[in-house]
Amino acid sequence: MDITSVVDEVVELTGRDPEKVVLILQEVQKRLNWLPSEALKHICEVTDITPEQISGVSTFYSQFRHLPVGKHTIKICAGTACHVKGSPLISDAFKRVLKIDNVRNASPDNLFSIEEVACLGCCTLAPIVQIDGKTYGHVKPTQADEIIHDFLISGNQPVNTPESVINEDIDAEIRIGIGSCCVAGGSKEILSEINNVKEKYNLNIRLKPVGCVGVCNQTPLMEIVTKENIHSRYTKVDKQQVEEILLKHVRPRSLNKRIKGSINDLVDTFLSEEKLSGQVNIPVELREKYLNNFLNHQVHISTKNSGVLSPESYEEYCLSGGFEALLKCIKESDQKSIIKIIADSGLRGRGGAGFPTGKKWGISFLSTGNPKYVICNGDEGDPGAFMDRMLLESFPYRVIEGMIIAGFATGASEGIFYIRAEYPLAVTRVRTAIKRCYENGVLGNNIYDSTFSFNVKIFEGAGAFVCGEETALISSLEGKRGTPHLRPPYPAVSGFRGQPTLVNNVETLSIVPWIITYGQEALCSMGTEKSKGTKVFALAGKISKGGLIEVPMGITIREIVENIGDGVINGNTFKAVQIGGPSGGCIPASKADTLVDYEELTKLGAMMGSGGMVVLDNTDCMVDMAKYFLTFTHKQSCGKCTFCRIGTKHMLNIITALTEGKATLEDINDLEKLCKYVRDGSLCGLGKTSPNPVLTGLKYFREEYEEHTRGICRANKCRDLIKYNVNDSCTGCTKCSQECPVKAIPFKPYEKHEIDQLICTKCDNCRIICPEKAIEIINING
Amino acid sequence: MVKLKIDNADFEVKEGLTILDIAIGAGIKIPTLCNNKNFPHYSSCMVCMVKDQKKENFLPSCSALAQDGMDIDCSSDEVKSLRRESIELLLSEHRAECEAPCKVVCPGGYNIPLMNRLLSAKDFNTAVQLSIAQIQSSGLKCKDCPGYCENACRRKKVDTPVSIKNLQIFVSQQIKMENRVAGQHNIKKSSKRFASHIGKIEADELQEWLKECKNVIKRVREISDSDSAAMESESCMHCDCRAADNCRLRDIADEFSIKDPRGKIVNSPIQKKININTGLIFENAKCIKCGLCVRLCENSKEEPGLCFINRGFVSIISEPLTEDFNDILKTKSQEVIDICPTGALSLKTHQPPIWGA
Repeated sequence: MDITSVVDEVVELTGRDPEKVVLILQEVQKRLNWLPSEALKHICEVTDITPEQISGVSTFYSQFRHLPVGKHTIKICAGTACHVKGSPLISDAFKRVLKIDNVRNASPDNLFSIEEVACLGCCTLAPIVQIDGKTYGHVKPTQADEIIHDFLISGNQPVNTPESVINEDIDAEIRIGIGSCCVAGGSKEILSEINNVKEKYNLNIRLKPVGCVGVCNQTPLMEIVTKENIHSRYTKVDKQQVEEILLKHVRPRSLNKRIKGSINDLVDTFLSEEKLSGQVNIPVELREKYLNNFLNHQVHISTKNSGVLSPESYEEYCLSGGFEALLKCIKESDQKSIIKIIADSGLRGRGGAGFPTGKKWGISFLSTGNPKYVICNGDEGDPGAFMDRMLLESFPYRVIEGMIIAGFATGASEGIFYIRAEYPLAVTRVRTAIKRCYENGVLGNNIYDSTFSFNVKIFEGAGAFVCGEETALISSLEGKRGTPHLRPPYPAVSGFRGQPTLVNNVETLSIVPWIITYGQEALCSMGTEKSKGTKVFALAGKISKGGLIEVPMGITIREIVENIGDGVINGNTFKAVQIGGPSGGCIPASKADTLVDYEELTKLGAMMGSGGMVVLDNTDCMVDMAKYFLTFTHKQSCGKCTFCRIGTKHMLNIITALTEGKATLEDINDLEKLCKYVRDGSLCGLGKTSPNPVLTGLKYFREEYEEHTRGICRANKCRDLIKYNVNDSCTGCTKCSQECPVKAIPFKPYEKHEIDQLICTKCDNCRIICPEKAIEIINING
Repeated sequence: MVKLKIDNADFEVKEGLTILDIAIGAGIKIPTLCNNKNFPHYSSCMVCMVKDQKKENFLPSCSALAQDGMDIDCSSDEVKSLRRESIELLLSEHRAECEAPCKVVCPGGYNIPLMNRLLSAKDFNTAVQLSIAQIQSSGLKCKDCPGYCENACRRKKVDTPVSIKNLQIFVSQQIKMENRVAGQHNIKKSSKRFASHIGKIEADELQEWLKECKNVIKRVREISDSDSAAMESESCMHCDCRAADNCRLRDIADEFSIKDPRGKIVNSPIQKKININTGLIFENAKCIKCGLCVRLCENSKEEPGLCFINRGFVSIISEPLTEDFNDILKTKSQEVIDICPTGALSLKTHQPPIWGA
């Protein structure tokens, strides 16, 4: 098909409206794999889009490509959790193995291109690599070859997820997680294998796909509930084991007893970072005991019924009390009372800044304009955060219900889901859910026979972190470059198309139905004086048990790390917690008794942010962390205002010099001054908060910054300040020599090996492969 | 009505006005680069920062709406140092020269690039006027000078310097007695003014300046007549800024007594785009990304204009991806040049409207 007819076909679908520019570009790229200038030109010819608009927009969002790429795209996640677990080395490894040409960004056979993406939202499986739709977790640099091989053999075959049916007489229900983390762990393969086994033995079981279970770093997770209501959970299930596991449960139960004896030993390893050799079968009473720590310190509001609800099933959501809140609002309440309930509950925006939700609704309610809009902000871009993805994937109906209530309360008639492009599964789930809602009459005209009508559509973001800022988000919706502007005017007064627009975060909306059902006091009684209710965090990094957790406000950071997360991995020392991503900061272990509370966290120089919580240990370098976040914000800056556009570049230059051991103490002072100017002078939240990682670093870890001026990195992380060395444990097994991609280790069987420092690229392969732990990283100046 | 305080003075104004609007009305001076009364505010340069004393935060006054009870500080040292920082940041990526090296080293401060532009345009009358003004205000004659200008000439890095000295002498020989009386001009000495420097130039960047001398057939050392003068002056690379005396960025840098920041940062290689149809020149390294030209082009559907390309630090002003630079702004060249606060947009044949007057 030639380019012009592709464009014609797309425009036929989307219409000629300039507001549709992002959608048109997305659809054209989907078909052509890139955006040739001929296509752009033809778009301008057949729509009302101008050449200026299409050029500005298509180069603003990182999703759009103006050069052809390889057939398959290897996305390497550069999120925080992946970064601390070594994603830069992974990226290097893939580039090396595939011989990627940096200019063309494609392998010589044009099969693969590499793209580093901000965050794929699978932080608990870090580091992550995604090839087309297929995700690989816990990747090591030495596995690049293996992964490419696996991908080429298995490809990316979609597996249909069966609809769950209710009230069926069955022997057992098999629950399998189909959140992104579980899918990345291979749950779709497991699902199809269960189907195979089911057919092979004609088992009377029901297969039930469920949303996120929360225990994301042990995926795929499979739960078997027999008709006697005995729950058994299996973590990290392998395809080969499916048959065995199923037959254990659906056959005579006596088999269960046989393995019971061994359970106690395995209890401690459940949910731990250690690789489980055998699958753990856990009877209900024991399960309670050790899930106790991970799950029972949590309070589920946004994530209510996690691991039980089938994400796409409208019926199940209703059975669990879904849409009752909406019915209550429409039938028994009025706009002002609903807003008052939300205001009295003390609910604050979960997107980061913590603006009181009730107040926002009130402003929108009082603003005049027709139509009014409600936007659900799902442009979660913080590297290290994936709460919104999980909520949209697992509880789409809850968020939709929250949005309809918000629409009813503020007098809006249209809702828009703004979901970032990196979350295809979330988009699919929400799309299905919206469709089901229309079919069941909770969306559309005259909802519950009232005069209230509400319509919802989805807008897929195109890859720009700054669009999480509400004014930038609205620009983006209007088909413009996603640049923010100063508030006021607030969107609640003048937003999308100049109309009153309520912008709420996914998590905020997901709490709304709960408040309506249980009352404002229920939420208000939870938390601290100014921060009420719960907060969902994505707990990842150097932590034993990671995943999506929902905790009451006012819990201490230490409780989260030690009780829920079970401390740091590998016996390392807990050093700090990074909260709030690029806008937040690193809270040192010494301040771990701080409460989770908007004001408390801000006082420390961090912020609640959207809820990424990455645990750092003594092998993490604080300067490197600051550099990581600055690189991110600098790259994501929209470029509108001077301080953010140029200021962050100067900051990054100084930090980079520090990690190379080339900066002076005076540079650190300059850096600190610059941080304050950028904080004061930037236009929007992205710029204003971008110095936080550096400022908290300087506040709590200044001595580490100063050490770098002397060329010392105590965590042995900064590449220019370290070297690889073979110690006396070397047995001369030659594995390192064979694995070294640049031949920096001469082959010397039964002798102590040596690394040629001039050739070594510090790819880490030798250290991973060494069976004797004989390869160590030492400081170049130490 | 809204009541607020600006620099401790009370104001009562109608709703919807910005702090900058009110300040201008009250005669309080706030510097700005990206604001223009004919376009909606945009807030890019952040030179117009003021402080909200109650909220303890800083705001760009061009888009900050006046709100009841505000207490705005426009002139404290704290505010000024933030403004100063924004200008220094803008200058730190301003890889451009206000004055050409030849002019800087000339003991008489002769405007050599301008003379070359006049000669290559064969505008000998104006060239003679310029020569008279130069000689009169400096009292120096080129024949008495060892020719520092040619030593500094950037063309030297490509092949040989432009024959500046001979060109100037040739023009001065054309001065007649009656002209001398008419040309009572004084050249403004600009050595005291702020001067931006270009920093390190890469080899391929040097090629960009050569785009201005595409018509050079051969080089001439001895200037004997107007034809050879025109031919040799064509080889001038015009290293100076055509907006040297008409640059808001330079004015503001002067106002804040700023020295050119050391160690310029590079967001993209220097480019000189020349529209062969209109003579419009765009130099990305001089651009401060205020977006005024983009906003000016936005409302004209009939001809392609300028737009932003890319995001963040590497964003630049450019012709649309689907167009050629030669085909844009057929009628609006002068408008975008006039609105540009720097010399990023200029006309190839540019002459200062009243040099030396």
